[in-house]
Amino acid sequence: MKLVIIGVGGMGAISLSKTIAQMAINKNLSVKSSEIHGIAKKGGLVEVQMKIDEGLSGVVLQKEADIVILLEDLYFQYAKAFLNKNGILITLTKEEKESIKKEFGDIKFANSFILGRFIKKQSIFDKLDAVEVLKNIKFSEKNLKAFERGIG
Amino acid sequence: MKLFLSGNEAIAFGLLEAGVRFISGYPGTPSSEVLPAAVKLAKQFKIDGYFNWAVNEKVAFEETTAASIANIPVAFVAKQVGLNVAMDPYMNTALVGSDGGLVVVVADDPGPHSSQTEQDSRFMAYFAKIPVLEPSTPKEAYLFAKKALNLSRQYKIPVMIRTTTRVSHSKEDIEVGRLSNYTIKAQFNKNTDRYAATPHFRYLLHKQLNEKIEKIKNNEFEIKTYFSGKKLIITSGISFAYLYDIITEYKLTDKLTIAKIDMPYPLNEETLHRLTDKFEEVIIIEEGYPVIELQFRKECKGREDGTVPKEGELTIDVIKSILQKLSIMPEEKSSKLIKPPFKRPSLCPGCGHRTAFYAIKQVFKDDAIYTGDIGCYTLGLNLKAVDTVHCMGASVSFGFGFQKAFGLSNIKKPVVATIGDSTFFHSGITPLIDAVHNNSPFIVVILDNSTVAMTGNQPTPTNTYNEDGSKATPVLIENIVKAIGVDFLKICDAYDFDCMEKALLEAKDYIENYSSPAVLIFRHPCIYTTEGLKNNPRFKRVFVDEQLCKGCKICIENFECPSLIFNGSVVEIDTTTCINCGQCVVSCPFDAIKVEK
Ligand code: SF4
Ligand code: SF4
Repeated sequence: MKLVIIGVGGMGAISLSKTIAQMAINKNLSVKSSEIHGIAKKGGLVEVQMKIDEGLSGVVLQKEADIVILLEDLYFQYAKAFLNKNGILITLTKEEKESIKKEFGDIKFANSFILGRFIKKQSIFDKLDAVEVLKNIKFSEKNLKAFERGIG
Repeated sequence: MKLFLSGNEAIAFGLLEAGVRFISGYPGTPSSEVLPAAVKLAKQFKIDGYFNWAVNEKVAFEETTAASIANIPVAFVAKQVGLNVAMDPYMNTALVGSDGGLVVVVADDPGPHSSQTEQDSRFMAYFAKIPVLEPSTPKEAYLFAKKALNLSRQYKIPVMIRTTTRVSHSKEDIEVGRLSNYTIKAQFNKNTDRYAATPHFRYLLHKQLNEKIEKIKNNEFEIKTYFSGKKLIITSGISFAYLYDIITEYKLTDKLTIAKIDMPYPLNEETLHRLTDKFEEVIIIEEGYPVIELQFRKECKGREDGTVPKEGELTIDVIKSILQKLSIMPEEKSSKLIKPPFKRPSLCPGCGHRTAFYAIKQVFKDDAIYTGDIGCYTLGLNLKAVDTVHCMGASVSFGFGFQKAFGLSNIKKPVVATIGDSTFFHSGITPLIDAVHNNSPFIVVILDNSTVAMTGNQPTPTNTYNEDGSKATPVLIENIVKAIGVDFLKICDAYDFDCMEKALLEAKDYIENYSSPAVLIFRHPCIYTTEGLKNNPRFKRVFVDEQLCKGCKICIENFECPSLIFNGSVVEIDTTTCINCGQCVVSCPFDAIKVEK
């Protein structure tokens, strides 16, 4: 699977990629990622490209990705450019983001919500793979709850 | 145990696992994470050792060399231009050789993404005659780190690991070994013929070095081949991973054979020729400079004949286009790449450097020559208060050079140099000595935020701790400046515009009337750290009064805080990024920016 996560600095794109990587490792699948940051420290583009169970490099080209997770609307056109013919874009509406922020107190929990969405859109991982990893991270209870919300 | 590690973390793991117990270096993208990763692992696995930053790369290299001569396994870490700084001890250590094992970790930056050059450190290995290993993936970075130490120990020669931005900053699942502590035993066998060799003995050391390299070339050089096509591509480093992915993705396995070289120097051309003679065409694709190609000494396609571009990063797209040009894979219908919306890099909202540059610019307008330096404050460019950026410490030596040049022409031209605290320690002190000694009147502004902010907030010599968290003795910049003999020294908080303005005016007066440099220290902690942000003075709210704002954008142009946003008619403050520091208030001539206490 070729996956791209796009966000801005401080939003947790990298933690999300680490969660997914750990899910792959637990299943004994190969996983590689390639991170790209701009020079601007705050609010700059952060892009993580990932390959799971394939390839040698973590690089994903435009028109190649099976799934793109977009955390910052500003980059909508850019994110779309990565999708292959049958690729799926996962993103959150403004309303969803606001309701997550309200309910969980921090927009960072949107990442677990979106992980729930991700689980539904692909066939490598199932719900339990994600739960196994989320169980062991900081604020696991809230993250698990946000994740359940995302699964719907 | 399987871990998801970046190339840099993988190198740290490999080094510690192989036994390295002393690491020194200086932070620089893309190499900065190796040493902190080693510190973290040492803590986690209770490993004794010394893992800390040095004041610059030359010092770091000398420290590691000595520890290696004392029979401890050591590593030096720097970016490519950092190795330039260490060149003098580096060349000599190659000749003298190592004892406990010495790994030279150098991260190159083809592109370049955050460096002044695209230079290829493998040439530095060639130049010094030391072996270099070039990993293609984080997994190999881990394996090669171990291999490098073992090679170094076996042949008593420093061994380089050359990584690049893409390898250093990619991550991979890696099956790692075990880290365990051991008792470090230093030992020094005096031998002046070697460790204090006079020129007479130097050529003997050179002869020994040549013999080592010859042995390594014969015993250690290997080529790995993949796929079974009639055309041969010789490659190394990240280019191998890219080629591998392209060939499997586009099913070119019967068109191409790939020869992967892990050790680009010393290259065994006989072994290589034995392989290449079987192919109708040989193409060499390596990232950086033609290091393999020049040692190959036979006809081939590559950098020299223009098949491979001579500059820029060899991205997977570039490699694809090379294969298309060679008709190995079909041209794709031209598909334009979509670029992300451009955002100009800028100092963080609320950064003290911004107010400092603003004050400098208010006092000197367009009259001064502004020599800048390497660090976050290079972005003083945006405030038009930086005219030159060359290399670490060059703001001070450039200031000196410009002042003398204009002085010789009898032209009065103020020169203002800006340099960060860590950069001052690294390379700014020596040119300041020159400026005092040779009577050069210009202004040096030391922008002190007490951290190496640009590369991830590593500690500097002013801090009370070093990377490993242990207690360190702070060295004060003002004491150094005074000790050098600078008479004019003023210190201000970089959030105190009035203090800085006054100090700058006095300094201006001073350099017009005296023939020695004036030094100003504008100090404010970096707000990019949690600590810095937590303790930063802030207002309840900073806002723009819509009635008073004329929409002139003077604040945006002159102060350029990214949180100031023009909405089409007036300026607004982006509350998601603004830290309510109120520093922008001075920039509005109509007093439209207000603060609420
Ligand atoms: S990281 Fe620190 S020094 Fe660098 S721009 Fe941000 S606030 Fe300024
Ligand atoms: S108060 Fe002004 S200078 Fe400070 S962060 Fe906000 S907009 Fe920028």
